[in-house]
Amino acid sequence: MFEILKKFGMPEPASAHASGIDDFIGYVHILMLILFVGWFAYYLLALFKFRASANPRADYTGVKSHMSTYLEIGVAVIEAVLLVGFAIPLWARAVEEFPVAKGDPATDPIEVQIMGQQFKWSAHFTGPDNKWGKQDIKSASATNPFGLVGTDDEGKDDVVCALGEPFKVPLGRSVICRISSMDVIHSFKIPSMRVTQDAIPGMTIPAHFKATQVGSFSITCAQLCGSGHSVMRGDFEVVTPEEWEKWYAEKAAAGGGAGSFE
Amino acid sequence: MSTATSHSHAPAHGHAVDHHHEPGFWQKYIFSTDHKMIGIQYGLTSLFFLLFGFILVMCMRFQLANPEAPIPVFGKLLELILGDAAKGGSMTADLYNSFGAMHGTIMVFLAIVPLAFGAFGNYVTPLQIGAPDMAFPRLNMASYHLFFWGGVLMIASFFVPGGSAKSGWTSYSPLATVAEFGKPFNGQTMWLIGMVILITSSLLGAVNFITTIIQLRAKGMSWMRLPFFVWAQFVTGFLLLLAFPPLEAAGVLQLSDNLLHTSFFLPNGLVVSGQQLPVSGGGSPLLWQHLFWFLGHPEVYVLILPAMGIVSEVIANNTRKPLWGYRSMVYAAMSIGFLSFIVWAHHMYLTGMGTKVSTFFQTTTMMISIPSVMILTALFVSLWGGSIRFNTPMLFALAFLPMFGIGGLTGLPLGFNASDIYLHDSYYVIGHFHYVVAPGTIFAMFAGIYFWFPKMTGRYMNELLGKIHFWISLIAMNLVFAPMFIQGMRGMSRRMADGGTAYYGADDIALTLNKSITHAAVLLGLGQIPFIINLFMSIKNGRKVENDNPWKATTLDWATPTPPPHGNFAAEPVVFRGPYEYSAPGSKADFLPQDQKS
Amino acid sequence: MKYTFLLSSLFLGSTAVLAGDVTGKVTVKGTPAAERPIAPLMADANCGKAVSGPVNTRHYVVGADSGLGNVFVYVKAGLPEGYKTEVPATKAVMDQVGCLYEPYVMGAVAGQTVEIRNSDPFLHNVNFMKSAVGNPTFNFAQGKGAKPVDKVFAKEEVFVKLQCNVHPWMFGYIGVSSSPHFAVTDKDGKFTIKGLPAGKYTLGFKHLKGGDLTQEVEVKDSGATVAAAFDVK
Repeated sequence: MFEILKKFGMPEPASAHASGIDDFIGYVHILMLILFVGWFAYYLLALFKFRASANPRADYTGVKSHMSTYLEIGVAVIEAVLLVGFAIPLWARAVEEFPVAKGDPATDPIEVQIMGQQFKWSAHFTGPDNKWGKQDIKSASATNPFGLVGTDDEGKDDVVCALGEPFKVPLGRSVICRISSMDVIHSFKIPSMRVTQDAIPGMTIPAHFKATQVGSFSITCAQLCGSGHSVMRGDFEVVTPEEWEKWYAEKAAAGGGAGSFE
Repeated sequence: MSTATSHSHAPAHGHAVDHHHEPGFWQKYIFSTDHKMIGIQYGLTSLFFLLFGFILVMCMRFQLANPEAPIPVFGKLLELILGDAAKGGSMTADLYNSFGAMHGTIMVFLAIVPLAFGAFGNYVTPLQIGAPDMAFPRLNMASYHLFFWGGVLMIASFFVPGGSAKSGWTSYSPLATVAEFGKPFNGQTMWLIGMVILITSSLLGAVNFITTIIQLRAKGMSWMRLPFFVWAQFVTGFLLLLAFPPLEAAGVLQLSDNLLHTSFFLPNGLVVSGQQLPVSGGGSPLLWQHLFWFLGHPEVYVLILPAMGIVSEVIANNTRKPLWGYRSMVYAAMSIGFLSFIVWAHHMYLTGMGTKVSTFFQTTTMMISIPSVMILTALFVSLWGGSIRFNTPMLFALAFLPMFGIGGLTGLPLGFNASDIYLHDSYYVIGHFHYVVAPGTIFAMFAGIYFWFPKMTGRYMNELLGKIHFWISLIAMNLVFAPMFIQGMRGMSRRMADGGTAYYGADDIALTLNKSITHAAVLLGLGQIPFIINLFMSIKNGRKVENDNPWKATTLDWATPTPPPHGNFAAEPVVFRGPYEYSAPGSKADFLPQDQKS
Repeated sequence: MKYTFLLSSLFLGSTAVLAGDVTGKVTVKGTPAAERPIAPLMADANCGKAVSGPVNTRHYVVGADSGLGNVFVYVKAGLPEGYKTEVPATKAVMDQVGCLYEPYVMGAVAGQTVEIRNSDPFLHNVNFMKSAVGNPTFNFAQGKGAKPVDKVFAKEEVFVKLQCNVHPWMFGYIGVSSSPHFAVTDKDGKFTIKGLPAGKYTLGFKHLKGGDLTQEVEVKDSGATVAAAFDVK
């Protein structure tokens, strides 16, 4: 049913919740299409049938049936169904039902801090110890967006992919992104994953997804953030869990992310 | 009321005697307190801004189709005017952002709202209610002059070092504050001061409209005999009056953030370009968004309601039958007015909103779609059984219906938060609101211009040029805005200075559409030339109207001499019936004017 | 980082180079930390293509005999009252190439035009927040094929630090000196400041990581030679 939409060019859905959103977008568009085609057919008919040359004297009363009222009620009912049956549950699932850790290191959700800055995305994982390195706003700089202090033990194995360096996430495992910004409002959008969340300075807002396809995906900044807004592209890869473990261990061994390029 | 009318209007033969002091040029054209002259001032100024805003977006469209390439011919002119900001005649990312912000601001606050509310509202409302003028003529004059100088300030901001505001028409903090941080007087400062002045102008206008419609209705003009246009203006007046003050306050607060380094909208721990921002922090960026959209959403209906009003007048007149469901339209307009105050946060679904709050706002959003559907349906149904005349104003009014329909329908997937997750801030949004405003509201404005021009000047506008204007505009508008839905579906984000080349291969359909949209936009621009020629040529050379009521209309605006003199009516009008008594059974003529006794 | 002043000036006689020229060498004591590879540069879709091989930070450019490059050497004090500084008509050029500023460290005379170029076929922005009153603050975007932008720094400021937000690892340093007598040390730490009239001066040495050093020097008609060393702890 949604082949049409694919032709409109929505990228192939690549996360567990994406198909729900795509289906919903499909249903809404079908409603829109039916309403528009119906209205438009009626409209053309009315214009043709009641042109002045064919109908020199207008009918004072016009339509007497209650058809349009039923139509309006119908629209309202369908909207209510879409709202209660689809939009609210989908939203609740997206923003409230966060995956929880069950203590199994192989399937527990992975947490990653995402920081937006003019004009790059940075990602920060805990590393194998599952503990965040010490962070201090006073240590934050253009090339140390997470403000990692770099002197503590917890931070030594942190994995930081700063300033647009692509990061990796494993296939089939939930990823919780804790999204913030250090300067202006950005918006963390992964079109293929159907994930969008504004990155707002002073707030850390979580969003989550579970990748269902391996491959390389792009992150778009979907909120005007300055002159480099159009090139604030981020990239990340979804890889198999084994590949990911290997990458993660290598990155962790290479040392924390407190260093600076400045 | 009654004394004012009878005093200022002696019968036609006493005309010359009555006006013993003819006002001079300045008083007549510049410092006029006559609602009609002020309406025309608003009209010409806002049409100028409409063209200006269009030129800005044409530069942007050229850039989107040909990223980084110098604009041919016009680029040289830009470089001449703006200097280093347009070096080499090409659009830098800064200039693109600056034009983008100003295009939005100018189109909304300086072109369309003043055209819909300031121009048509001023010219037509007092005529339709049978009033000699607005309730507060001097306030009216002050309102226009504030609007004018606010506009001048906005244009002047292009010449401030660093250029005009470039943080979008929404001016989100902290970007708006940090974009030119450390420059005491920058484009954003000018924008904010300009906005405060424009808002003041709108507030004066709103108070004036509300008072006029309540107080100055002619004898017999009961509420349910008001033309729908007046109802639309009435509701619009309330929207402006109640929605603008929060933005005015927010504007002053952001001004203070920019100039005095307060932190109303700046949170703790801002690090810009690696430097800790030297402000105390503790503010909230979301507060700005709430205050902005508390205006922003009612503002959408400020753009729409007057357009619906104009379209209703033109459709009733040219179908030669009463509007179907007039009462339900009035109640729908009032519901829209009320509901539009509690939907604003649907612009902010992705700012970290939980389920409860977003459920509230998407429920209200779905609710407000119902009265909009009701008005649109009533207008559609009004066509049935009519005797439809396809003159230029009617063509524009008719095209408004499906075009606004597309705009409204594409609002659905944006109003539902689940689909908004994907479509938020994509080109889908741009397509959506442009369908509402461009082939929607602007078409209604054109309908209004072609419709009331004979009353303003005593001459018709040229039908042939009008039809050329209509068809080119209709085709070009659709070629411009429909492809944006496809771009949005492909995930293309808005406000990208390079048109998305960082994301899509050169042969991707999203980018090829950029080029075709630009070509269509050129066509749209060319299509306006017949209109401009028509508008100015017809003042002197248009076909003369046969009488004061050339369209055979029923409302009081056509019961005045042509053009209406100072004070409007030759004699105080008395209203005997509803606004749209067309083709009434038992009446020989197919229209019964409101002021005709039987 | 701690640094110490090591060697005072040496006065040489007739064997010196051109009259009025100050020559010298700046060295580094100790071993600086290894330079970091700029991973995001190499991973960037545009920048990765614009460079060949790994790109590292350039914090300490150490050459032969511990010579320290990229030190800005300028006259801090000692020029006579009313000394006439001629502002060169030529432009000082700062380029952006391969997602780095080239040169990394350069000098300009206060009032001289600095031309900022973008040789990369993609967008950069150039961001500078002044600290000296009278200098411009700016932040402009420079896209592919954009014309160079001229900026004039009217007041002495060491360093004017340019940065790009599109590529936040990009920093470029301009020593803006009020006199035309300045130099940037070469990769071996050597420098020559030309044409100083005889007299006593305070020379300033500025390294972006090592910080500031100052040194007194007496210049005779035959010139002078100085040596300075930054200490890395």
